[in-house]
Amino acid sequence: MEKLPDKRTVDMRIISDWIEPDSSILDLGCGRGVLLEYLIKTKSVFGVGVDWNMDKISSCIKRGVPAYQGDLTEMMKTFPDKFFDRVICSRTVQELSNPAAVLLEALRLADSVAVGFVNYGYWKNRLHHLISGSHIPNEVNTYEWYEGPPTHPISISQFEAFCDRHRIRVTRRVYLRGDWETPCEHLHNLLCGYALFELTK
Amino acid sequence: MNDAKENPLLSRPGEVGLVQYSDFEYERPFTFEDGQTIPRFRLRYETYGRLNAKRNNAILICHALSGDHHCAGVYSIRDRKPGWWNNMIGPGKPIDTNRFFVICSNCLGGCQGSTGPQSINPETGKRYNLDFPFITIGDMVRAQRLLIDHLEIPGLYAVVGGSMGGMQVLQWAIQYPDFVRCIIPLATTSRQGAQSIAFNEVGRQAIIRDPEWKAGNYDPDAGPRVGLSIARMMAHITYLSDKGMERKFGRRRRDSGDINFSFDVDFEVERYLRYQGQTFINRFDANTYLYFTRALDYFDLPETYGSLEEAFRDIQARVLVVGFTSDWLFPPEQNKEIVQALLRQRKQATYAEVPMDFGHDSFLVDAPNLYRLMVAFLWEK
Repeated sequence: MEKLPDKRTVDMRIISDWIEPDSSILDLGCGRGVLLEYLIKTKSVFGVGVDWNMDKISSCIKRGVPAYQGDLTEMMKTFPDKFFDRVICSRTVQELSNPAAVLLEALRLADSVAVGFVNYGYWKNRLHHLISGSHIPNEVNTYEWYEGPPTHPISISQFEAFCDRHRIRVTRRVYLRGDWETPCEHLHNLLCGYALFELTK
Repeated sequence: MNDAKENPLLSRPGEVGLVQYSDFEYERPFTFEDGQTIPRFRLRYETYGRLNAKRNNAILICHALSGDHHCAGVYSIRDRKPGWWNNMIGPGKPIDTNRFFVICSNCLGGCQGSTGPQSINPETGKRYNLDFPFITIGDMVRAQRLLIDHLEIPGLYAVVGGSMGGMQVLQWAIQYPDFVRCIIPLATTSRQGAQSIAFNEVGRQAIIRDPEWKAGNYDPDAGPRVGLSIARMMAHITYLSDKGMERKFGRRRRDSGDINFSFDVDFEVERYLRYQGQTFINRFDANTYLYFTRALDYFDLPETYGSLEEAFRDIQARVLVVGFTSDWLFPPEQNKEIVQALLRQRKQATYAEVPMDFGHDSFLVDAPNLYRLMVAFLWEK
């Protein structure tokens, strides 16, 4: 598998460009707080992350990133409408038990929601599935099938259809090739390995 | 000398070791929130570690209802029981005395050396008993602030405490926003709920209805020992959890014997509770128990400040709130509410939840998960 720059920083590189200095950010599934730490340092945002895993919260604390351990749906309910400037849902959406409800709730909390995910429509993923008939490993979903949380495979065309159905406007699209680095110009659902969307309602 | 070698609390590295308490005498009148004034007061306290040259490494520990100023180390080489948070405080421990200057005082109204209901009222020459003013969490914190000023500490690096201590921690950050860099309230609440008030009321009734209470004017050597021990037995249950008790005691019999068909102690858990009740009456004053439980009951930040958000409006401290999954006295939900309100005020607040079976008392026991969180927070640059 090709391993160009650090694939882990793909959302950091793209999403941080979208973010206004001093804005307020909620990071759904913040993990160890790497993205928020970067945004706090480079854009002096007010940021808070949410994750269910205590070890990850511990890492956030070490980084000086405010974080909330718990269920993200329950946590989001505690904020008033448009409390944040932006909600980030980076590599989280595929693991949500109710992605539609979470994304709609995110659009209640902020005018702008950034979503990044691995495109399962990418030709290598299709091929992998065709040949092995099994779970597709990647940098986001590193678990074996028996270790990790349930995962929804999402393709770009499915995601676009979802946005249409819920009258969610897509204000930005970034398609990256299989290296998660080079822009992907055509046939996105087939040639794009990683996609980022900016949504608004 | 051999004793010192044999006592691991002295010889083992990473222990605070021998400690002494000090007394802070405040010689001026102090007016309580209830409007009453006492002419002077004493706070008994202990310190561990060294105050650095910049005087900015002080951590204040706030104790819970039945705690006191003795939170680490031992008083003598024969002392087998260290202070109540000895696992947390010491050189190389989560609250690291190589780095921090740690202070803990017995709360105002307490019975371990600080001025409280059992102290002599200098104006009458008699014990205060029920003439002692009603004390609030805010009063405790104002008295602690006078101690910190007396120690010439210009600001606290952190204020840390669980349960009633956690309430004081919150109050510190609210009352002195520019004086506190960070706070760690553990297993606590912003508002004493009905269930907790209810338990406190049963405890108080056990004391008040004991004929030996004598309207609070009992002889210090006697007093409502039955009532106080029952209050403690019941309260102690609320500090544990179903799962924790099941694991620790189950249905184990005393002396592993058969059922006795008696109302004496059959089960290990009964023996344990009676022991807890008995040891408590030897170290705790019944009137202080009444006053402190009332201080807990009256603690209601949303009511005092209009709303929880309003209470937190001026907070400048970084906050780490820790809840414990099996705590049903101040359950995770109540700890979360604190962080939710802080975040709505755009404060630097984190909520972490430690999975433990020890109930409310989880914050007091050996808990590597909790240690990791505390270290990460206290060492964050």
